[in-house]
Amino acid sequence: MGDPSGEPGSSMHGVTGREQSFAFSVASPIVPTDTTAKFDLPVDTEHKAKVFKLFSFANPHMRTFHLSWISFSTCFVSTFAAAPLVPIIRENLNLTKQDIGNAGVASVSGSIFSRLVMGAVCDLLGPRYGCAFLVMLSAPTVFSMSFVADAGGFITVRFMIGFCLATFVSCQYWMSTMFNSQIIGLVNGTAAGWGNMGGGITQLLMPVVYEIIRRCGATAFTAWRLAFFVPGWLHIIMGILVLTLGQDLPDGNRSALEKKGEVAKDKFGKIMWYAVTNYRTWIFVLLYGYSMGVELSTDNVIAEYFFDRFHLKLHTAGIIAASFGMANFFARPAGGYASDIAATYFGMRGRLWALWIIQTAGGLFCVWLGRANTLVTAIVAMILFSLGAQAACGATFAIVPFVSRRALGIISGLTGAGGNFGSGLTQLIFFSTSQFTTEQGLTWMGVMIVACTLPVTLIHFPQWGSMFLPPSKDPVKGTEEHYYASEWNEQEKQKNMHQGSLRFAENSKSEGGRRVRSAATPPENTPNNV
Amino acid sequence: MAIHKILFASLLICLLIQSIHAATKERLFSDLEKSALEVTATPSRVGEGVVLAAGVDKLSITWKVSSTATKEPEFNAIKVKLCYAPASQVDRPWRKTENELFKDKSCPHKISSWSYDPAMKTAQSFDYTLERDIPTGTYFVRAYAVDAKDHEVAFGQSTNEDKTSNLFSVQAISGRHKSLDIASVCFSVFSVVALLVFFVNEKRKAKIEQSK
Repeated sequence: MGDPSGEPGSSMHGVTGREQSFAFSVASPIVPTDTTAKFDLPVDTEHKAKVFKLFSFANPHMRTFHLSWISFSTCFVSTFAAAPLVPIIRENLNLTKQDIGNAGVASVSGSIFSRLVMGAVCDLLGPRYGCAFLVMLSAPTVFSMSFVADAGGFITVRFMIGFCLATFVSCQYWMSTMFNSQIIGLVNGTAAGWGNMGGGITQLLMPVVYEIIRRCGATAFTAWRLAFFVPGWLHIIMGILVLTLGQDLPDGNRSALEKKGEVAKDKFGKIMWYAVTNYRTWIFVLLYGYSMGVELSTDNVIAEYFFDRFHLKLHTAGIIAASFGMANFFARPAGGYASDIAATYFGMRGRLWALWIIQTAGGLFCVWLGRANTLVTAIVAMILFSLGAQAACGATFAIVPFVSRRALGIISGLTGAGGNFGSGLTQLIFFSTSQFTTEQGLTWMGVMIVACTLPVTLIHFPQWGSMFLPPSKDPVKGTEEHYYASEWNEQEKQKNMHQGSLRFAENSKSEGGRRVRSAATPPENTPNNV
Repeated sequence: MAIHKILFASLLICLLIQSIHAATKERLFSDLEKSALEVTATPSRVGEGVVLAAGVDKLSITWKVSSTATKEPEFNAIKVKLCYAPASQVDRPWRKTENELFKDKSCPHKISSWSYDPAMKTAQSFDYTLERDIPTGTYFVRAYAVDAKDHEVAFGQSTNEDKTSNLFSVQAISGRHKSLDIASVCFSVFSVVALLVFFVNEKRKAKIEQSK
């Protein structure tokens, strides 16, 4: 319920995390505060918070934020919980390198589909139940690790656990019901970044839990199975907390949604068409596959890599691997911020260059990681690689909102799915065969990142240009209005369905760069971007 | 800018450490004296297709210094290890045999260690019960003779040079327990039931409120 007009895909607004704060539902540029409402934070007329107060747990807004990112993080913990324990699991289950690689592919594949379904679930049941259902129904999949006896079982269970990564969608959806669109970018970006940290936390948590259980007397092959109970309990605890402490809307629970008699104004088929026929969508799907995708792949292989290559103890390898995922805490928001700074000087061209530079740098550091022969160089290379890849994720979603206004939700969803798909593909090619050692796999993955980032040069906006080409000088086709209005046909324009896109176009003029921003803007058209 | 200096300095230090490390000559397996020790390993159960159970079955291991051993004066201790046969190394790069001794991962399981007494010329034998963390695979036994600096100087193994004879198979424990399985099922059921209870309860409350 991010957008009261209820268009399909509108529930995905805010998913990108870097959306400009264009109030597509509010007519006036300034968001009025509802002074009659009694909340801890100032709220707007829909009672969505206008302020993001990080260290508060006030009901409902900040409490929702914390419940949401922690449950998303829990799902990352359980999806990647097997990775740091692979050195033990592979001996228990007699796994080959192919089995381990296939399990890694399986762990990221399930959520490609579950994320697509989750949007519909949130529309039907609301984000609170969407989150709670997913988290509590995937708890049995985590517990079923104790039954696994061979490679097939291991792959199957990792596949099933991977479904819970769809909490990304419920997390972002829930935020958009609680936070005003002026700040939803920062809120969602922080929630996504902190959620991804779970992939790092698990590399630290699981070896420590395993070690404790071993010291209590269990054999190695029982201890790792018991260790999986910890993420399983986290699922149950978070599910119960979400159900008891959370609420769907600032004013209460679902019953308020009953008043929504509005039928979806836009057609799913049309939105899908505009998403799919925009070539930029597919370039971003590829790009995100090589920023988020390589992050997920690395989460799966890095602990085992350090354990084997540098003869480290399991928890030492875990600590090093954890620092890869934990960099998300600031790296992802930093990428979005870098993109914003580039945009103030060079507009959209700056954003494209920033993305290319950051993602290519990440790829080069990945090559260095594969070629590093000593522990210290490997750690340095890994950290730089993590900063590059995660900042690239942030920078990607700083541009995605501008690709389309009408089909933003679907494009965001496709881009996100591209991340998982890229991860599965990379693990399949480089980390599942005996053809490459893991260090060779990392080197080639780095090369592939650099190669797959080149298509960014092809992204051209007629109104703003591309990396190498200036904007079109055509007085009609070179305007933001033309670009965004071209997603509507004549009949739709006659019904004025494209008004939201026109307002968005007006506010997006700042992407023209400094010369546009410094040009005097008419007083009644104050753009309300941050 | 300070962070750039720190990164650059750490890079220099890394390269320095790397170059120093590379200066020392790596000790190679091919330099060790072969067959300096005569080693035999007899499983407690023998026969065609017999698979030993980890944690249960035993190996009876004997080792003796061969009369042809030339480096015998350097021997300080004897380390006996369980090693993977080639069949168990296929598609498993973490068990690879490497010539450089510090990289070699084919003999990770320590059986026992004995201080070497030059006066004792007879064969030493002992029983070894297969540990419960031995993975499923095919194995042989190798004994390394190490010098006072804990560097390997010679070895002997229970199989031939191609590692094809006298191998034995081990089946690992599953690690599964009935109590673990039951606990797992209980928590899973709890999770699903708790969710349904909450859901039904809230729907009921909403209905009651609506009818008011």
